[in-house]
Amino acid sequence: MNSLILRLAAKRLVIAFLTLLFVAFTIFFATEMLPGDVAEVLLGQAATPEAVAGLRTAMNLDQPAFLRFIYWLGELFTGDFGVSYVNKLPIADLIGGRLANSLKLAGVTAVISVPIALALGITAAIKRGTLYDRIVSIFTISVISVPEFMVATIAVIVFAVYLGWLPALSMANEVTSIGGLLKAFAMPVITLSFVVSAQMIRMSRAAVLETLNTPYVEMALLKGASRRRMVLRHALPNALGPIVNAVALSLSYLLGGVIIVETIFNYPGIAKLMLDAVSTRDLPLIQSCAMIFCLAYLLLITIADLVAIISNPRLQ
Amino acid sequence: MSDKIANWTASDDAMVENAIRRGASRRELLQMMFMGGVAATTGATILGRATAAVAAEPVKGGFIKAAGFSASTADTLDPAKASNATDYVRCSAFYNRLTFINGAGETTMELAESIESSDAKVWIVKLRKGVTFHDGKSLTSADVVFSLNRHLDPAVGSKVNALAKQIAQVKAVDDQTAEITLQAPNADLPTILALHHFMIVADGTTDFSKGNGTGPFVLKEFQPGVRSIAARNENYWKERKANLEGFEFFAIGDETARMNALLSGDIQLAANLNPRSLRVLENNPAANLFISKLGSYTNLNVRLDMAPGDKQGVAEGFKYLINRDVIKKSVLRGLAEIANDHPIPDWNKYHNAELKQREFDPERAKSLFAKAGILGQEIRITAAEAANSSLDYAVVVQQAASKIGLKVAINRVPSDGYWSNHWIKDAVHFGNINARPTPDILFSLLYKSDAAWNETGYKSEKFDSMLLEARGLLDEAKRKQIYGEMQAMISNGAGTVIPVFMSNVDAISPKLKGLTPNPLGGMMGYTFAEHAWLEA
Amino acid sequence: MTMTLSLPKPQKTRLPRFGYRFPLVGVISFLIIVAWILVAIFAPFIAPHPVGDIVDFDFFGPMTAEFPLGTDYLGRDMLSRILLGARYTVGISLAAVCLACLCGITLGMTAAVIGGWFDTVLSRTLDALTSIPSKILALVIVAAVGSSIPILIVTLAIIYTPGCYRIARALAVNINTMDYVTVARARGEGLGYLIRSEILPGIIGPVLADFGLRFVFIVLLLSSMSFLGLGVQPPFADWGALVKENIGGLSFAAPAVIFPSIAIASLTISVNLLIDNLPQKIRDRSES
Repeated sequence: MNSLILRLAAKRLVIAFLTLLFVAFTIFFATEMLPGDVAEVLLGQAATPEAVAGLRTAMNLDQPAFLRFIYWLGELFTGDFGVSYVNKLPIADLIGGRLANSLKLAGVTAVISVPIALALGITAAIKRGTLYDRIVSIFTISVISVPEFMVATIAVIVFAVYLGWLPALSMANEVTSIGGLLKAFAMPVITLSFVVSAQMIRMSRAAVLETLNTPYVEMALLKGASRRRMVLRHALPNALGPIVNAVALSLSYLLGGVIIVETIFNYPGIAKLMLDAVSTRDLPLIQSCAMIFCLAYLLLITIADLVAIISNPRLQ
Repeated sequence: MSDKIANWTASDDAMVENAIRRGASRRELLQMMFMGGVAATTGATILGRATAAVAAEPVKGGFIKAAGFSASTADTLDPAKASNATDYVRCSAFYNRLTFINGAGETTMELAESIESSDAKVWIVKLRKGVTFHDGKSLTSADVVFSLNRHLDPAVGSKVNALAKQIAQVKAVDDQTAEITLQAPNADLPTILALHHFMIVADGTTDFSKGNGTGPFVLKEFQPGVRSIAARNENYWKERKANLEGFEFFAIGDETARMNALLSGDIQLAANLNPRSLRVLENNPAANLFISKLGSYTNLNVRLDMAPGDKQGVAEGFKYLINRDVIKKSVLRGLAEIANDHPIPDWNKYHNAELKQREFDPERAKSLFAKAGILGQEIRITAAEAANSSLDYAVVVQQAASKIGLKVAINRVPSDGYWSNHWIKDAVHFGNINARPTPDILFSLLYKSDAAWNETGYKSEKFDSMLLEARGLLDEAKRKQIYGEMQAMISNGAGTVIPVFMSNVDAISPKLKGLTPNPLGGMMGYTFAEHAWLEA
Repeated sequence: MTMTLSLPKPQKTRLPRFGYRFPLVGVISFLIIVAWILVAIFAPFIAPHPVGDIVDFDFFGPMTAEFPLGTDYLGRDMLSRILLGARYTVGISLAAVCLACLCGITLGMTAAVIGGWFDTVLSRTLDALTSIPSKILALVIVAAVGSSIPILIVTLAIIYTPGCYRIARALAVNINTMDYVTVARARGEGLGYLIRSEILPGIIGPVLADFGLRFVFIVLLLSSMSFLGLGVQPPFADWGALVKENIGGLSFAAPAVIFPSIAIASLTISVNLLIDNLPQKIRDRSES
């Protein structure tokens, strides 16, 4: 079984590489389709044709975009992310600190939300139809029905403006103590947990229930096996595939999708960086961010797929 | 329709403070408030608060955090490339310019001791002595030559390339004197040099990330798109060095979040708030309003060379169709001044007061549109968040149009790329113009036949020649008369519908003192850091 | 194998089976959804004021007889804006979620049944699609094909299809290994039959739960798309956009920001509760 997993992982690695390449090309063409280039955007209202032409020359953007892209891709293989068109800073420097911030936030959120969400989802399935189940369901849907920016804004108004317990901004750069860390992360993490938990709760509940519906489990239940035991011993392992997929999809949101939280709490993460890059048409930066998101996503779903295969002996 | 207006007390505070600074008497002030419908007792309270705010003596020390509205990886410390409030604030802290424009709108000397000319064409700039850059280098005329010539190099990407083109030559006469020769006479040169982009950098600078200037603060940290930290320049050349020990500047893109950060005390200054936020801010002890009348505006452009604007009377029709009162009251909550379809506000000394104010007159618009034969057609108006409040303006126009049988479809487009893809290019669209200190700059940028930003394709040889004539005139009265006539020409002839001038609203912590409005922009013309002080 | 147990308190049973009965919660949810659909259809006839008309110089106005849900940031009647907004939120979201789930589930099941290279290529292509930031996607679409409601629906569907596919495939792969599927395959049943009659009934529960969630996500994403200039044009606005444009009123709990949020919640919660409380028959594999 181990060799099988290894072989699968190796195969996935190759495919991941191809996927990244494919994404790089797709993003290149997509960015090329966007109207305006970096020189025009930087000049904004001052973008007269001669000014744009002059700036393009000065920025070495005279070469065809495709050649520049291929060159950038070549450099990438040597581990060099290139230099931002906009501010001439190395992209590794621009991304470095902000990626670390994003990973910190995503990590804390994942550690808190995944166990809670799975526990809620599975217990709701065990106690299907009870008041507890109903409350969990309604709570889950209510929580994601409120737009993220509203959750964040309400949290700020209540905890920062009225109560004054927490800072309104989450200055990751200035955290020096554990207490400070807790304070800075409390509201962003709660907001994000609200957003990502719902899918995990709902899917784990639904997937466990579905396996409970299989004739085999039903038979065992009719014979008097305890429901809790059936869920933990039989239903859960069978439902693990869809559950880990839901977890992976939810977590993949935590890197690139947290733009609202980054904006409202002024948290210097990588999602905002990517948006900046898109609006300034800073191709190397867009590409680098997209590669990171894609890599994170591939990593998550590969783990999900592997867990799914390991958990279901028939798939091996 | 009820006609209650919910924001009078809020703007009052700022207005009264400003009046006190101008030297108004208590009696005048109370009368002013009485006219505004404020009861005498309330008036006395406001007055007490406002007087206290102005009278106190500056305190040295303290560190503040201030938040602007936009930051990105394109943030720069190169004054030539500076493109928004965030850049202007930073550059104003680290650099100085040759001249400055004070709160009253007068041009004053800064790094220059004098700027003089006998023919408005050749100008002699005498520099102040004993000014040093942060790295210890002394300010010389070579720095001025370098700083000004940069704008002419297309490779720099200067935002004021169009303005700088009138400079024919800059040369150093001696160590402390530079000579600027213009292509043609321009009496406004000292005022033009007060624009943010013309700040003086050290000769030969290629790396601007150090912020090496002569300004009141030195750079401690700068991360584009994240934040910058500045510390007081102890060797500043002015007798009054900055009061603050330092400040941190960053941007919170979300307006509500910016306001909440101020209310919770995380920051001491929140720039560019929406007038709508007055409801929360007024009477809130955690915030004071800081209102600046600037002369910036969002305008509806009806291109005169494309359908439907190419038909006689269509642009004029829109000027009668736009309900300036509703825009002022409903969209901008009173924080605006009615404009008259030309870019010169009434606090500018060249304003033409004789020009009759155009009123909302849908019937007249209807007959103009009927004559042009466009009633019943669908007109598409392009708007985007990029042009402040333009979507709300568009709705106001749309509603008025629907009542006279003109169908207006709003074409909302992404802010991203708006200026290069839609502005000036679409037949009917919105623009957003920042205030400029002189009519000459506005007219040359926006209305000259070959102007790069000629938003509606306005062409008039008479206008062009009047522009050149006035530019070289040192006779103020004659100038005012010509500029007055030109305002009438724009108002009647161009396709730009300029409904109101928008005021800028910043909110500050009640502990932050020393700010006075400045026509160069919000946050005291972006120079708040140099003058502000923090109450202990 | 439906067992129509007539138990007095079904929620306390260990294996609740309601047979053909439709639980009360489900009925209420269904009625709320129908009500919103009716509102969406007849909105122009019941809205008291024109949707873009500034009817009050006050802003974030309170609830009054004239403006039952207050006024918005410009002084427009909130009730009318919410009624008209139902058209966009209900219509576009339902269309987009149906399209996304139809594509995602069909492809997911097909990939699971066929497997091999087909599965690999399809899965990786959709993974790659997920990696393209939705903002770039939306901007490219606006630039390339312009903006209209059908384009908005397709864009939303494109954004949500890969996620749907992933869940459906993960579920279907498990079912695909079951004995009865192997038996059916051995019988020589075609792809269409396998998907429809063997796989789908086995995954319908979680797939419907996923449908409900995706519906919520789309309702919320809709407003961001409008702000990028894709889709709903002013003076109209979907509910998410109504919340967003009036968010400034949140500090003093203005009706203008509360009511569109309640509208969103009532719709999304109803859709999900309806799915949870569908008659067992629909969810039961062996009845299909």
